[in-house]
Amino acid sequence: MKLNEINLFRTMVRLRAFDEACIEGVPTFEIHGELHTSIGQEAIGAAMAQSLTLHDAVVSTHRNHYHALAKGVPPRALMAEIFEKETGLCRGRGGHMHPFDPEHNFSATGIVGASLPVALGYAYNFKLKGLPYIAVGICGDGATNHGTFHECLNMAAAWGLPLVCLVENNQYAISVRFSDVTATPGIAERAAAYGAFGRRVDGTDVEEVVKAFAEVARYTRKGGGPSLLEATCYRHRGHYEGDHDNYRERAEKQRMRAEMDPIARYRRMLVERGAAEDELDQIVAAAKGEMSAMLADIRKDAMPDPAGAMDHVFAEVV
Amino acid sequence: MTADMTANMRKINASQAVAESLFQEMERDERVVILGEDVGRCGGVFGSSRNLLDRFGPMRVRDTPISEMSFTGMGVGMAMAGLRPVVEIMFVDFIGVCLEQVYNAMAKIPYMSGGRVKMPMVIKTAGGNIGSAAQHSQCLWATFAHLPGMQVVAPSSARDHKGLMAAAIRSDNPVIFIEHKGLLLKQAKEFLNAGDVPAEAFVTPIGKADIVRQGGDITLVTLSASVEYAMEAAAQVAGEGIDVELIDLRSIVPLDVETVAQSAAKTGRLLVVDEDYLSFGLSAEIIVRVLERLGPSSLRQLRRHAVPDVPIPAALSLEEVLVPGPASIARVLREMAAAS
Ligand SMILES: Cc1ncc(C[n+]2csc(CCOP(=O)(O)OP(=O)(O)O)c2C)c(N)n1
Repeated sequence: MKLNEINLFRTMVRLRAFDEACIEGVPTFEIHGELHTSIGQEAIGAAMAQSLTLHDAVVSTHRNHYHALAKGVPPRALMAEIFEKETGLCRGRGGHMHPFDPEHNFSATGIVGASLPVALGYAYNFKLKGLPYIAVGICGDGATNHGTFHECLNMAAAWGLPLVCLVENNQYAISVRFSDVTATPGIAERAAAYGAFGRRVDGTDVEEVVKAFAEVARYTRKGGGPSLLEATCYRHRGHYEGDHDNYRERAEKQRMRAEMDPIARYRRMLVERGAAEDELDQIVAAAKGEMSAMLADIRKDAMPDPAGAMDHVFAEVV
Repeated sequence: MTADMTANMRKINASQAVAESLFQEMERDERVVILGEDVGRCGGVFGSSRNLLDRFGPMRVRDTPISEMSFTGMGVGMAMAGLRPVVEIMFVDFIGVCLEQVYNAMAKIPYMSGGRVKMPMVIKTAGGNIGSAAQHSQCLWATFAHLPGMQVVAPSSARDHKGLMAAAIRSDNPVIFIEHKGLLLKQAKEFLNAGDVPAEAFVTPIGKADIVRQGGDITLVTLSASVEYAMEAAAQVAGEGIDVELIDLRSIVPLDVETVAQSAAKTGRLLVVDEDYLSFGLSAEIIVRVLERLGPSSLRQLRRHAVPDVPIPAALSLEEVLVPGPASIARVLREMAAAS
């Protein structure tokens, strides 16, 4: 596969600009509940975007914006949903933790551990119909200690289902360190126990993630059964916007943000390869401009009409 | 409360009141152990287990992985082995993950064992609407109350957060203790249903409702954060000559029907306000039990005001019209007063 470096850089920068625009809605109380951003985890979303087709399914978590965008969910509709607008992907009913886009086979859940079973359902459908698509179930390191992780990988392997389990190992589940609740160094090593294909990658090295994701996706798409990709990374912000985050040492956070920033890393790499600094700067400025214009536009949209509060409980609109 | 009455009150919020109760109960009884996600190093996502890890160490204050099914079941085993576990399920919405252990084990084992096994276990969890959409807003107390064998407690005042937690821990029954996310960070003196939180350990008995406002016109029964909303509504309509008697149930199993029925017999009008779903729930249960006690035509008016069987939407413009709040409660009170 030939990598288009500038595109990859732009994709990551747009993802980050998207989440940065969302963050603006928290202090203003336009967004309610716990907004989870993925800042620092852009390489993973960008890599997924390279290997997925329209019909592949992605089931994500509470930290889902990048995955949605990678799957092709329209950014404006997604952001409008995050801002709880009638123009949002789910008419303002779902909100930031619960975006559903059936046209792109994308969904998410706010319940940890609940993404993989739903992805398994998509995978089953693909197998049943003999379709060449994959279902990507995404979870954090924390979710891998949930029973569903074991149950889903077991079923997927036993039945040869096209499930890619993508683990974003950012080392923390809120305040709980991965190493405090898991005895093995990582998660990828579990794949062998299920008869799945397992691989670990530095999730902040975007070119490596692109290759690794493409590899597991290809394996599973070709009928090899489930695969497990562990992408290591670091959550740059609090668990949610507003989290005091005093369970991680300041020094650790500073060091990790410096070392594990996929965008800064890639930028250095591209400059070393001869990219012009101001071309990269322009890409960053354009992404920020795009997202803040989008936000300004969305802010003019209407909130859902209270008269429709009871609509959509059942299929028939009453 | 007047300004000089609140001036001398302790500066403590509801989550600190819970944490203080846990601290004192753990000092008092070394069998008490707390486990759950983020209860240790960060002291609970709402701070309601703060300071415990430093004092009691990781064997008694255990940060768990996100493995609710197994650590809830582990709580059952710990209780059977002679400990007194407090298991935290961060948000009550996540109970679905471990409900099996709750209703097939925790709630049933005392009975299945013919009374030979006790279940001194507490599930501590947070519910309630604060704009967090369908999967992080529910109350679900009626779901637990429906399962035989569970005691179900949901405190309102800061003082009750402390006293009821102590009672739950000391109880030999399985208790589910449902905090409200909208109350936990509120200072004791900011509660409309104010009351100082004693510094020393004390117990608020489970099963005894609290008449938080005396009145002669309408009996309003509720619990948890809705007590605060109802206080506000009652104050609003008081100016219009509607005198509300407000009852904080504190627990729904056991349910203090006696107190409710006495009040309803006096006022002739009964309103149940419930932040949980309307159907097959607390509101119908209370009304039926009162009518069973007082007779089917004993009351002039019966009203229910609850979440109308719809998942909680993300947009506040929608949440506001679905979840009972001060304004909607006042509106229902006015309608009742106008009707007769
Ligand atoms: C079943 C369940 N338990 C607990 C929670 C609360 N919770 C939300 S996110 C989270 C941590 C998740 O950690 P991880 O899976 O590593 O994902 P990350 O947040 O690091 O992306 C927890 C405990 C939940 N939403 N669902």
